Amino acid sequence: MTASTKTRTGSPPMAIWKALLLSLPMFLITALLPLQALESGELSYIVAILVMWLGFNVAFILMLTTGQTYRYRSVLFILLAVALPLWFIPMMIETHGSMMLSEEAFVSAEANFCPLATFMVIVPALVKRIVIFPSALAGGLGFATAAFMWAGSTLALGRGWCSWGCLFGGWDELFSRLRKRAVIKNIDRRWIYLPFGLLLAIVLLSAVTLSPIYCEWLCPFKIVTEFQAPTSLLAIIQIITFVVLFFALVVVLPLLTRRRIQCGLFCPFGALQSLLNKINIFEVRIDPEKCNQCKRCIRECPTFSLNEGSLESGNPLITCTKCARCIDICTKNAISFHIKGTSLQASPAVARVLYLYPGFVLLFFISSANVGAALHRIVKLITTGSMI
Amino acid sequence: MQGFLLGLANGTTCLTFCAPVLVPFLLEEGKNVRQNLMTVLKFLGGRLGGYMLFGLLAWATGSLLLRTTSYQGLVIGAAYVGLSALLLVAVLRKKAPAGACAFEGARATFSRWPALIPLGMGFLAGLKVCPPLLLAFTDAASTGTLIGSLFVFLMFFVGTSIYFIPLSFLGAFAHVSDLRIVGKFAAVIVALYYLFSGVLLFTGGVRL
Repeated sequence: MTASTKTRTGSPPMAIWKALLLSLPMFLITALLPLQALESGELSYIVAILVMWLGFNVAFILMLTTGQTYRYRSVLFILLAVALPLWFIPMMIETHGSMMLSEEAFVSAEANFCPLATFMVIVPALVKRIVIFPSALAGGLGFATAAFMWAGSTLALGRGWCSWGCLFGGWDELFSRLRKRAVIKNIDRRWIYLPFGLLLAIVLLSAVTLSPIYCEWLCPFKIVTEFQAPTSLLAIIQIITFVVLFFALVVVLPLLTRRRIQCGLFCPFGALQSLLNKINIFEVRIDPEKCNQCKRCIRECPTFSLNEGSLESGNPLITCTKCARCIDICTKNAISFHIKGTSLQASPAVARVLYLYPGFVLLFFISSANVGAALHRIVKLITTGSMI
Repeated sequence: MQGFLLGLANGTTCLTFCAPVLVPFLLEEGKNVRQNLMTVLKFLGGRLGGYMLFGLLAWATGSLLLRTTSYQGLVIGAAYVGLSALLLVAVLRKKAPAGACAFEGARATFSRWPALIPLGMGFLAGLKVCPPLLLAFTDAASTGTLIGSLFVFLMFFVGTSIYFIPLSFLGAFAHVSDLRIVGKFAAVIVALYYLFSGVLLFTGGVRL
């Protein structure tokens, strides 16, 4: 197919002057970070933050000028996930000597609070007034910071969190994009209920045991962050479980299926976000009149959030992470971002820009603590020969 | 009366302890509010059986049972494994793989007497030692008579049971067929957790 006959996909492209104008608010808001970095006086840190700020804003302008959301969001999202261990592990080595936390460190609440643990702490916090995660209540990576960030982003993006704000989702997005063709194509659709079953079971069990069961036993991302030192057979079993889950759900299955298996078929936090998605005003809609039923979107959706019923009803399933993959690949422009309460024909371009703003701001500021810090460590590695 | 007040004051804790078994089971069954109420009552009936056993033991052993460290490992471990088995039976009995001979007998039994599942679950859940139960046990042991001990547990049971009734209203969502699948997954996960915990407790915990 030649370039001239190739069908255009994604949202309509935008004139460069218009894109620059619409990018200006993002450019200014995100400029707060490099301005703050200037105060630190540390050259490597300032350079790292400036590179990040520039890169992210260029990606945002490209989203607007090309009309492609998924492609650029995906790059930034993967960057965020990969950046996390690049600074987190050296930081752990600096503060604790290794990635492993001793039992004493857990008892004295030295673990960093993970937003994914939010769903487990809600019930015990409400019923028993206890925060069952072994982290500080406030401070840099404490419970309050994560809870505030989670609440705000849920309000702004709903399940869009899983495509713009999650610290880990980029890992299986990365591996799901590495192969051109899926090896495993037919997956029983009933598996999409597993995250909800897991959510229910973990919430109930965590309330009984007053411990974050998911973090203790099922989180695949422990091996790229922190875990308990193997001082007992139980701890060894836990570490083996983390390794197996990471390679199975985040590496091998996404490679074989070209889907985000951990996010779509396992993550209980994603299930919680799906349930809370109602309070958010942005959604993805399908125009059944424009749709030619090619079903490419169903085959390509990274989180199994589209089925035949979706094409008829015009609504994806509640598990939709608003990643924009379907919007970008639809040759009929039948799928678009939409603001709840407006008509389907209401300008999808406006809805898209309004959705991109909070998404980008969230991604940028979460990345600022991760990509910026990772770049800083890399600069440090280059200049001093060590990341620590 | 003290048993009743104790139950009333600690009912939410008892509910929290029983919910991981009861909630997935009710969702998986997908019945309406009235049928769910019957299931909850059967569960409570089983739980009453467990409590009466505790009442008997409190009278017979005084506080000796609480001081017996192997009790927790053996009895609670066995109760966990039993709960796990019952949950798995509840989920799989309708769809056991063909030729699953070992499972056939259990499936036939539970198909003939389906009430055995909530009753059994209730009984085994009643054997799980939660903090309020320990208080009730101490109270019952201090009465010194069999009737007194059983009465404390009966009143404790009544006090705590009030909190279980609202679970019947999960039946209001019975029309959402997706919830049945969610319930099934949750039941299997809870069952696996109890199986693992039960085996660990039974073997006395494993430490290097």
